[in-house]
Amino acid sequence: MWDVDQVVGLAPDAASARAGEGLARGEKWSGTGASERAVWGLCQGSGKQPYQTAVDLSGPAYKCSCPSRKFPCKHAVGLMLLSAKGQVGAGEEPDWVRAWVDQRAVRAERPERKPGEVADPIAAQQRANRRADRVSAGMAELAGWLDDQVRQGLGGFDQRAYSELSRLAARMVDAQAPGVAGAVRRAAGVVGRGHGWPGELLEELSLIHLIVSAHGRLADLPPALADTVQSRIGWTTETARVLAEGEKVEDDWLLLGRVIEPDERLTVRRAWLRGATTGRIALILSFAAAGRPLDPLPARPGEYVPAALSFYPGALPLRALLTQTAPRLPAPRPTGLTVHRALASYVESLAGDPWNERWPLVLEDVRPARHGDGWALVDAAGDGLEVLPGWDAWKLLAVSAGDPITVAGEWNRAGLRPMTCWHHDRPVIL
Amino acid sequence: MKGWDGLVSSALLGTDRRPAHFEDLPDHIRERLGDGGLLDAAALATIYRRAGRKPLRDLEPLPAAPGEDRPLPRPVAIRRLAAMLGGFQTSALGEWLRAADAHGWGVPPEHLPALADYARHRAEYRPLVIAAAGRRARWLADLNPEWRFLHAAVADSNDSELWTHGNAIQRRTWLRTLRRQDPDAAREALAEVWPSESAATRADFLSLLTDGLSQQDEEFLEAALDDRAREVRRGAARLLARVPGSQYGVRMTERLHSHLTATQGVLAVDLPRRLTQSMERDGIDSQNPEGIGKRAWWFHQIVANAPLSAMELAWLELPVEGCAPEVLQSAWTEAAIRERSAEWARALLRAEASTGSRSPAELLRLLPPDEWARAVDVLRTTVDIAELVGGLPVPWPTSLATMILDQLGKVGTNRAWARLASIAARAVPPDVLDHPITREPTGEEDTWRRRLVETLTFRREIYQELT
Repeated sequence: MWDVDQVVGLAPDAASARAGEGLARGEKWSGTGASERAVWGLCQGSGKQPYQTAVDLSGPAYKCSCPSRKFPCKHAVGLMLLSAKGQVGAGEEPDWVRAWVDQRAVRAERPERKPGEVADPIAAQQRANRRADRVSAGMAELAGWLDDQVRQGLGGFDQRAYSELSRLAARMVDAQAPGVAGAVRRAAGVVGRGHGWPGELLEELSLIHLIVSAHGRLADLPPALADTVQSRIGWTTETARVLAEGEKVEDDWLLLGRVIEPDERLTVRRAWLRGATTGRIALILSFAAAGRPLDPLPARPGEYVPAALSFYPGALPLRALLTQTAPRLPAPRPTGLTVHRALASYVESLAGDPWNERWPLVLEDVRPARHGDGWALVDAAGDGLEVLPGWDAWKLLAVSAGDPITVAGEWNRAGLRPMTCWHHDRPVIL
Repeated sequence: MKGWDGLVSSALLGTDRRPAHFEDLPDHIRERLGDGGLLDAAALATIYRRAGRKPLRDLEPLPAAPGEDRPLPRPVAIRRLAAMLGGFQTSALGEWLRAADAHGWGVPPEHLPALADYARHRAEYRPLVIAAAGRRARWLADLNPEWRFLHAAVADSNDSELWTHGNAIQRRTWLRTLRRQDPDAAREALAEVWPSESAATRADFLSLLTDGLSQQDEEFLEAALDDRAREVRRGAARLLARVPGSQYGVRMTERLHSHLTATQGVLAVDLPRRLTQSMERDGIDSQNPEGIGKRAWWFHQIVANAPLSAMELAWLELPVEGCAPEVLQSAWTEAAIRERSAEWARALLRAEASTGSRSPAELLRLLPPDEWARAVDVLRTTVDIAELVGGLPVPWPTSLATMILDQLGKVGTNRAWARLASIAARAVPPDVLDHPITREPTGEEDTWRRRLVETLTFRREIYQELT
């Protein structure tokens, strides 16, 4: 159900995790039990009445009669730890548990429409049209601006660049094209950094230009590529639509690893999967407000998630949603590629989606080598790939000890960000 | 890529001033460009460049660390190690490492960086981390200067290169290892380089002779009493005081006899009037600490550094004339600790003698461990029990640990016992971790008792998981 690490990850802070650990002992509890959808128990606190604690496994969601305002409270954490240790046996749901879980199930079902169904199709169509108009106006403005810059030259750019590009990014947000706004902000970040910045700025601007001109002939593009362009501009596909209409692929999905990027406001986690039989690559994105815990991963890196995935539409279908998960399974060490073939797999992804910047690679039999101030991984043929500069490589180095190992990482232009490596057949999270 | 720089310079200056030329671009790009402009060409070229990225060449992989790995313990034990490194019950880390080592388990290599960082500022953990790192110790030490201490693992005393050309840590380890194997050879190696070493190094290396000290070292140490550096002279005197039958001992005995006589049931003390040069040479400190007069201080040091064989246990019972009895008692305490005399320690504890700047626990630990429980039971009426047992080496003998936990089981929730509980939580030996106190219910407010039970349970689980 859970393991200890996952439960500790759900605790709202370290103090709750510690307090929960203290409560995760059989003698603290009475009337514990577990059903297919919930775990419950009574915990003796300082008061006369024991606290009633229950966890709904579908969330997980928590219920406890204690006065704590933390969520989950230490009793819920303790109960989950107890259950993670296998000390909660199966049982019949008592009334107070059944009533609560039933109520939650009803509430969860109510707002759910039939997949893809829209409440008011006419109003929705009007909203979509209004947005399309705004985006078109924004793209036209952006196209004009880009042409102006190229005619006048980027040379004088470093003084006015930042405010100019920030203004433009804000305009793109107004035009409901947040994807392009992000690309413009990234371009702003390049200006004046290092002395190769004009070339890098030209790269960024040219790819924005590519979005804009693709948008201009959206109707002529193959439908899958048109979806890709739309999603680069910032149209999002509703989850319900992905679940209903997205391509479904069933497989044992190996969790290659995850990259977590904390930001001031939002934490993003990219989990990369690879199908054991299909060989398909999938990306599962998770978000959480800064400082809040992310959803637990469906498995540990290096394990299989037997599941059906629903892919978002696009010319390079990567992003997916997990549906119908079975319990995770242990997996053998994955097969990997040479550096040469790994780079070629990224090139294939570019053929589908020229804007694709990240791609998971599994490298086989690579050894660490010094590369400038940082590190690189070298395969048996002597081909090397740089490790992302500034990435803390000590765990990876210690596991390797100079021996060839298998490494799964996320590749982007700056270098490979290793996510998982295998110490013999044991996956190690980096 | 061909033609890219031309695109960049056109973009920099502006196509109004420098129209873009596409002739230099690769054929593949020109074919697809059609009548596109600079940005179209740049987009094509960007994808072309990204797709054409080549692997790095001519990299030298790190050499592999030679040797074998030990098998790893069960995943549940590994998870517990990770939790400790993450800040949960971290003080049990040393115990985990020792138990894993004793059972022949290795440590998952991904935890070595965190362990090495942990041991960097905690010298007592270093041997444990070195054992845990196995064949990776030297390999990691070579890669990361902050973990140089891991080199201590491989300071092989056969490799005299380390002594002549190694860094300070390697040399120190080499000398310490050799001293354990062949004390005379170590002293001779030290004597050879002695004149050319700095004062700090001389003092440091001299302290390594504590191991395996014998009369063979006397001549070397006597010479060191005339060293240029004061810290070296003091170190040599401290060592000589521990060499049985030394000339130093004879000199101290003579001084003792000229200032202390036992006659007609009285100990008569005649405090020294001045500090002679020979006394100073033997390391007697002229500067008295607060709370004791100069002359009493000199006398105290003579007694503290004289061989116990020159004194009699019966003196403890005699009245003292000429100085405060505490001056003598605390000096005997020093002497008993220096000579590790269980006999004197027992007598001093029984007489409730003043222990001066020492804790009674330092005398207690000189007794055979099976006497500790009984001694503590007697002493607790006069000495704070937490202070007494807090200075004892861990793990405690079973009898003492059981006695203390029995006691804690009976005292209710009084906060006064919190300190003893926190000491006991770390000190009871593995075979007492199952004490009945761990199965008694604890209330929410019972903070110290809850922590005690948590720690004992945690430690018990360490051993269960590593067997």
